[in-house]
Amino acid sequence: MLRPTLNELISGMQRTIIEALMPELTSPYAQGQAMSAIAMLAHAAAALEAAPAYDAAEIKDLRATFAALKRLGDKHLPKKGGLRAALTRATRASAKTPPDRRAMEESMSAFAIAVALGLCDDRVARQIRGYIHRNLERSRNLLGGTLPSA
Amino acid sequence: MVGLKRISGGSSRETYSFDLEWSEGGEKRTRPMIGRRDPTGGLLKSDREREFKVIDAVHRAGLKVPEPLYLELDASVMDRPFFIMHRAAGQTGMGAFPAAEPESTRAKVTDDFLGELARLQSLDYRECGLEILGAPENLEAPARIQAAHWTEIYDRDRMGEYYPILDAAFAWLKANPVVSDRIVIVHGDFRSGNYLYDQNGIIAMLDWEMAHLGDPMEDLGWASMMFWGRDEFAGGLMEREAFYRLYEAKTGRRVDRDRLFFYQVLGNAKMAVICLTGIRDFVERRTSDAVMPFLELLLPALFDDLAKQLQLV
Repeated sequence: MLRPTLNELISGMQRTIIEALMPELTSPYAQGQAMSAIAMLAHAAAALEAAPAYDAAEIKDLRATFAALKRLGDKHLPKKGGLRAALTRATRASAKTPPDRRAMEESMSAFAIAVALGLCDDRVARQIRGYIHRNLERSRNLLGGTLPSA
Repeated sequence: MVGLKRISGGSSRETYSFDLEWSEGGEKRTRPMIGRRDPTGGLLKSDREREFKVIDAVHRAGLKVPEPLYLELDASVMDRPFFIMHRAAGQTGMGAFPAAEPESTRAKVTDDFLGELARLQSLDYRECGLEILGAPENLEAPARIQAAHWTEIYDRDRMGEYYPILDAAFAWLKANPVVSDRIVIVHGDFRSGNYLYDQNGIIAMLDWEMAHLGDPMEDLGWASMMFWGRDEFAGGLMEREAFYRLYEAKTGRRVDRDRLFFYQVLGNAKMAVICLTGIRDFVERRTSDAVMPFLELLLPALFDDLAKQLQLV
């Protein structure tokens, strides 16, 4: 492993701000900005570790969800609304190396819209809701459930 | 001008605090001031002339707002346009009304909050000279205009990413428009965190940059979103159902639950888009405000609420 690691560099920069810059800052606004920068560096350090696993889990889940939809067959997808084409695009994107995540998410958007508008049958909607539930849980684990008052 | 310092808050503009000192009739006078200058980037792209005119109009109508004093549109004076207003006393917060405050203060702030909203919604925008905000052509237009406006900003600032829940929200808003019962002045960001208060109640409502004409349920929906207080208390002020009843008592009008729901969905989607705008401006170096990257951390809570509202989970 190369030293210093990215995490070591980030925590070093946090110390620089705290120990070298903060004592020189006199305005509350500048001090607030420095505190925000320190907190964001802490978040970045944690995200650096967690992001690869998040990405891998996201791609795996998208792939599995679209594969499950494919197994259900076209008869469960409405002819109108472009869902069949979206599934074809997603299947193609998930077979790429590396998988085209953005294209899969674009297709997932088409399915989420269909669920919100009540255009899907129950079996399709169950798959999409399951994915969104897991996606939200992963996002909360990665980013937290921060509110503006926090 | 003494004591000039930049302060946080009102993130859509650079905000400065200072005191103005002058002599009048041999006497030294002092007045606390706030200067709001256009940012290089940030949360919103809004028109400071509109904002100034709205504050001026509602101030003349007797609402609790800081007195607007001076508007400078000539960018050569201070690099960017700015305006100056009276600096009101009091404290503010970032979101939900602080749980640590005494119950008596909370009750007074709540009463003033809905009282000010009722007064705002009782104003005739024409008599206030606010046709400049663009009156919707009919009662169906406000929902359509707002949904289209935020969809457009979403498409501009999503940086090529897909957010399935947000895409679903905007599709739902387009497919389920509501019809207003009248056209009122909408503050656009009427919520806890956007007022100055003390133990006697609200001193001034702030941040009028998103004001427009529209449906009265829009401000009520925004103020009562789960996002501004994660419990049953709307904005940390009052239990939601009691909050709606007090609104009805103050306005003499019924809360339309379908329209309220529409504007709560719109509110969550709008707030998510505001976050995306701030993130994009930070990433593309139009702002160096260190608060902007934190906006990403707000998205899970907004997406959670939208997913529940749209039965996506």
